[in-house]
Amino acid sequence: MVEQEPAHLDAVFHALSDRTRRAMLRDLSAGERSIGELAAPFAMSFAGASKHVRVLETAGLVRREVRGRTHHCRLDAARLAEAEAWLRHYERFWTGKLDALDALLRAEDAASQNEGSRT
Amino acid sequence: MTAPQTRSLVITRRFDASAERVFDAWLDPATARRWLFSGEGGEMVRAEVDARVGGRFTFTDRRDGQDVEHVGEYLEIDRPSRLVFTFAVPLYSEQYDLVTIDIRRLDKGCELTLTNEMSPEIFEEWGEQTRGGWTKMLGALDALLA
Repeated sequence: MVEQEPAHLDAVFHALSDRTRRAMLRDLSAGERSIGELAAPFAMSFAGASKHVRVLETAGLVRREVRGRTHHCRLDAARLAEAEAWLRHYERFWTGKLDALDALLRAEDAASQNEGSRT
Repeated sequence: MTAPQTRSLVITRRFDASAERVFDAWLDPATARRWLFSGEGGEMVRAEVDARVGGRFTFTDRRDGQDVEHVGEYLEIDRPSRLVFTFAVPLYSEQYDLVTIDIRRLDKGCELTLTNEMSPEIFEEWGEQTRGGWTKMLGALDALLA
């Protein structure tokens, strides 16, 4: 709406639209996790967890590193910061509008008080 | 109308002016053109409001020689407490958002709550630009969606 969006934001918001993936991100915000560790809270198979991680990878939110037989995942917060910055555009947009409305109503009040004092 | 998946941004603001004046400022084109969709340094070249349920609005702001159109449709009009409309800036995005204005009378003035709902893919809440902030943000997000 308010701002030209980078195309990849679609992928970020798609990734964030799923509760399981959000929980994984929250887990990852505390540090590196293996796919097995990410899957554990959901009683989910490795394949299922891996699929979610792939969506997060596509969005650029997570980096996966394979060491031996273990897939290690790390949060890449830069993209998340971008998504957040985009949301802030909305907030700034409406906050700016409401500031302008408030100023306008106050100016009208001041003008009508001045008129009143002249009569 | 609203998908259960919808995310939203909520802003609350108090005004000294009466609920009626704040409400009318959204629908009276002469007032609305002075604040609602005017950009910094822009010139409002068109402000049309058909203030009926199902009616549409168009505000065109000329910025650096480019006409930026703001369009939408009124879904609910309940003076002075509630106004619901869709809103898009086609130049930037084809997507329509849903905006709800709730106005509550106070002893002096009123309190306005603006809710901007976006498409299902868009989440809400923000934290500081830190890892801890992200943890908090995602926690809040989950709570909101629970």
